[in-house]
Amino acid sequence: MVRFPFTHPEPEEPLLAARGITKRFPGVLALHRVDLDVKAGEIHAVLGQNGAGKTTLMNILFGLLQPDEGQLYFRGQRVHFRSPHDALAMGISMVHQTRKLVSAHSVLENILLGHPGTRGFLNLRTIRREVEELCHRYGFTVDLGAKVWQLSEGEKQWVEILKALYGGAKILILDEPTSVLTPPEVKTLMASLQALVQDHGVTVILVTHKLPIVTAISHTVTVLRSGTVVARLRTCEATEQLLVQHMIGQDISSYSISDLLVEKGRPLLRVEHLSAYNDKGVLSLRGVTFSLHEGEILGIAGVTGNGQEELVQVLAGLRPPASGRVLFDGRDVTWLSPLDRWRMGIGYIPAERYEIASVATLTLVENAALNFHFDPLFSRRGLFNHPGLEKVTRHILSHYRVKAPHLYAQARHLSGGNLQKLIVGRVLARKPKLLIAHLPTQGLDVEATAFLRGKLLEAKAGGAAVLLISEDLDEILSLSDWVAPIYEGRFVAILPREGADAETVGAMMAGLRREEAGVS
Amino acid sequence: MWELLVRSLEASTIFLLAALGELLNQRSGILNVGLEGLMLFGGTLAFIAAQTTGSYGLGFLAGLAIGGLLGLAHGFFSITMRGDQVVSGMGLWILSFGLTTYIGNPYTGPLGMPRIPSIFGLSPFVYLAFALVVAVWLLLYHTGLGLAIRSVGENPAAAEASGINVAITRYLCVVLGGMLAGLSGATYTLSYNPVWNYNFLMGWGFVSLALVFFSMWNPWILLVGALLFGMTWQLSLSPELLLPGILSRYVWRAVPFATTIVILALISTPWFRTRWGLAKPEALGQPYAKE
Amino acid sequence: MRIGRYELTLEARPTRPALHTALTAFPAILLALALSSFLFLPAETGFLSAYRAVFSYAFANPYGLQATIHRAIFLWLCTFAFLVPMRAGLWNIGLPGQVYVGALAAFAVPYALRMSELSHPPFHPGLIILLMVVGASLAGAALAGFAGILRAKLHVNEILVTMMLNSILFWLVAYMIKEGGPFMSATGEGESFNLPPSLYAPLIRGVPFTALLALVAAGLLDFLFVKTTLGYRIRVFGLNPAAARYAGINPVAISLLVFLLGGAFAGLAGYHYFAAVPGVYKIPGNYGFYGDLAFYGIICGLIARGTALGAVPIALLFAGLSLGARFAQGQFHLPFGVDYALLGLLMMTFVASHFLYQFRIVWRPVATEEVPRVSAGIPER
Repeated sequence: MVRFPFTHPEPEEPLLAARGITKRFPGVLALHRVDLDVKAGEIHAVLGQNGAGKTTLMNILFGLLQPDEGQLYFRGQRVHFRSPHDALAMGISMVHQTRKLVSAHSVLENILLGHPGTRGFLNLRTIRREVEELCHRYGFTVDLGAKVWQLSEGEKQWVEILKALYGGAKILILDEPTSVLTPPEVKTLMASLQALVQDHGVTVILVTHKLPIVTAISHTVTVLRSGTVVARLRTCEATEQLLVQHMIGQDISSYSISDLLVEKGRPLLRVEHLSAYNDKGVLSLRGVTFSLHEGEILGIAGVTGNGQEELVQVLAGLRPPASGRVLFDGRDVTWLSPLDRWRMGIGYIPAERYEIASVATLTLVENAALNFHFDPLFSRRGLFNHPGLEKVTRHILSHYRVKAPHLYAQARHLSGGNLQKLIVGRVLARKPKLLIAHLPTQGLDVEATAFLRGKLLEAKAGGAAVLLISEDLDEILSLSDWVAPIYEGRFVAILPREGADAETVGAMMAGLRREEAGVS
Repeated sequence: MWELLVRSLEASTIFLLAALGELLNQRSGILNVGLEGLMLFGGTLAFIAAQTTGSYGLGFLAGLAIGGLLGLAHGFFSITMRGDQVVSGMGLWILSFGLTTYIGNPYTGPLGMPRIPSIFGLSPFVYLAFALVVAVWLLLYHTGLGLAIRSVGENPAAAEASGINVAITRYLCVVLGGMLAGLSGATYTLSYNPVWNYNFLMGWGFVSLALVFFSMWNPWILLVGALLFGMTWQLSLSPELLLPGILSRYVWRAVPFATTIVILALISTPWFRTRWGLAKPEALGQPYAKE
Repeated sequence: MRIGRYELTLEARPTRPALHTALTAFPAILLALALSSFLFLPAETGFLSAYRAVFSYAFANPYGLQATIHRAIFLWLCTFAFLVPMRAGLWNIGLPGQVYVGALAAFAVPYALRMSELSHPPFHPGLIILLMVVGASLAGAALAGFAGILRAKLHVNEILVTMMLNSILFWLVAYMIKEGGPFMSATGEGESFNLPPSLYAPLIRGVPFTALLALVAAGLLDFLFVKTTLGYRIRVFGLNPAAARYAGINPVAISLLVFLLGGAFAGLAGYHYFAAVPGVYKIPGNYGFYGDLAFYGIICGLIARGTALGAVPIALLFAGLSLGARFAQGQFHLPFGVDYALLGLLMMTFVASHFLYQFRIVWRPVATEEVPRVSAGIPER
């Protein structure tokens, strides 16, 4: 079979084009004179690292953001997208990296939300029939009456694609569609996208930082690096190596992590049959058992929403367990308060940097005090020891390379990476015996990621037991001594690192049992 | 007894109109704790307009207009300015409490106009309020606009991405909700109890606000709640009808408020919260910024 | 919004210096004063003489000044009652209810001791006064604490609960002092018995000792929020409850504590106005007016942005304004309720200034655009 775009030898007009797009955010040049040409009936990959400006560009194509400079063309005509409404009217639809679905509503309600045919009274029966027909045509199966919060991440994505198609999308923008999917779900997605393009004439813009996906299904690739276009290639002419060079720009030597050899210490943490309910009252952690020694890292690998959040919160004392118990240092700590846990040496780095781990309008010193306000070193008879707090904050800023204007700057003025360094530094400055790190490097740039991973290894070398929860398989495999894939609230297995390879763990994250995943 | 029932239904109407407005607000994600203020202002201006012009129509129009206007002001602070909705709501309430006391004072006393004729023994507003329950229910669950309103209250980012204009949808709801609150106040001063007095509501608005929380944001449950509270309220005003001479009439007056607290506490228990909490619009009270 | 060739946008202010915070209070107050000119429209004199009358009565007339001080003490205590929960992000609008319950508790002490029947107090009057003060604070704390515990344990909306408590206490006071209620005066109708002179609160230079309590409390409160770990915990909880929980701060304890503390201040305010102000010494029939006055505490706390010492001059000013306005109302034959209207205007200008403090309006010329041609095909690199 011949690939569609290359059957026409003569240069054709792009379906959607961007010219000289520049977008500034306070203090950041997110996009600088970016050009993009998307032709009808192709899968156009936009490749780049986190923070390269991919999502910003897509938000501009979809009308969520307006460019500071530059123009958009649709079929050669100049267009202005003041809001997604305008883009949708042109048949441009976007599936966002974060799900844009109303979780309390049914699948059907989500699909018809914003559809031009829904003015006035809703004829739910007709609409339902139309959507069912559409499902049938594209080969999707999804329960239209189910509430969205009951669906898996993969199913939610189908709903979004279905919604776009029901809205008459001719151009489908997919922003990091695979980031929350399990490997088998990724395979299905890729097959469906190819079918959409080849059989139904849809044009797909695929935003990703994952090379295998780009080389597997895209026709054309545009590479972004720190806000500028560095390459435009036909995929068939590109190699993975070439793309990596474009994407990263140069080799990053500090990325490799030296393996510190650590002696295995005494057992520190024992978790027995731990279960917990989530906020909706669903049992989402279902009987997890493991133990952890000093100087060990246990990496819990899984797609978000499989009970990691609940496990972490129960261990930090922020969520009551439904059953089971937690032993720390030989003591039953199942029902201890968060404060007692901090005092005993359990350190917790939450995934939510802005929402939980910091207070945006407090100063850096006050933010550092979040983990010290109860410490007798820093509070005497209820009064703060301000010089001491300043000293420890200064220490964190310098040792963790936090770029901050001064000690009394507000936390909201720090970038995500610098804030995370402050948080990690603050927790590690307590020298915790057990460190719980939940998505510690998510969304950070390469430098900060490498730095923080190094710090986790240092903590381990210092004798701390580390519980690392991550979606990033590379991170899990490069740091952990033990790997525990988690699926629907249960550990599928606990593997020693030597016995864990990416394929096996990936399959287990998707819910395949040991035997099925090829582990004896 | 029949008289008591009629008065209870009329009292329910006041609660229902205001609470329906607040329900629309909250469904779109905007919390207006200044509901009582909107009702006070609506009632006062309606009273003044009706008395000076001698026309009930103009009175109600004034009530609707000021309610809508104050709703718009609340919308401006909470939607465009993305401010703290509680600050703005409390501000509106205290503003209305203070200003209506001043503006309305020269008009203290009875309205002095022929009563609005009743239909089958009931005030026409009882029928209007019942019709509005049906209308709000149809709007929310059977129209595209209603779906947009509910989505905006649950997840404004998702609604925006679907091409819904979050700001306009919310403005629509706060203005409509404000008008309903104004109408509720006007119904109070022109029909239910046509006598102007300083701070004549004495907590009706806050009880209405609580009713919205009780209702799981569902107009039908709201109707039941409003009927029950209308009855309780009326009984507290004339307890001698059921339980003559048991307690001082002043103590009875406190009963509806105590009931409100008890029910508020009840629906906040964990058992209820896992059920009630799911119905709460997820984005309620949170300012929404694009990007 | 686009107007002509300019773009009008609303932007969050990048940094907010402390001085800026303090300065925003002044335009709000000045604007409210300017707006209240409208209130004087029906007056038979000009605005300036009306204002002169307000201020000279409130701050220069010996009777007026005394009343201003008495009212300022009341407002200080009410402001603290609002401000402490506010720092924890909670709204205590139950000030009137807590004021009433404080007054009831204070009067319950002599009532229980049958002081109205005995000619001599059973023990030292100073001790009884102390009991009254402590009783008033405890009652206020208990009432507010009820809202606090519901908030802390069950997440019940504290605005609704405290508002409901206001109404309940309003009727409870009516029951106690009217129509044969236990506290009804022997002679009068609809007001409480008079305190015996031996229980009049001691005066310091003609001012009740509660002034000293309030001023010391102001200093201590600011010290609490700036220097102590408890104050820090309250602030963190107010700014980000999730972060507070993460940091091991007990949300139940904080919610309860701020309401207990706040309620104690409001109860004390009730004691002050009904049992310590010379010439009153009873719960009058129009006690509802004093309850409404307590809402000024909300305004003072908001305008002072949570600093107790900052609230001291503001509350003093408002005390004088509300009194002077009432005086001008009588003198110039203005409609009733000028002081209520002022309350409303202050709230309105506060809300407006609150948003100007967080946002600024920016004018920017719209960039002129040139239209380049669309090139066809993929430019290879």
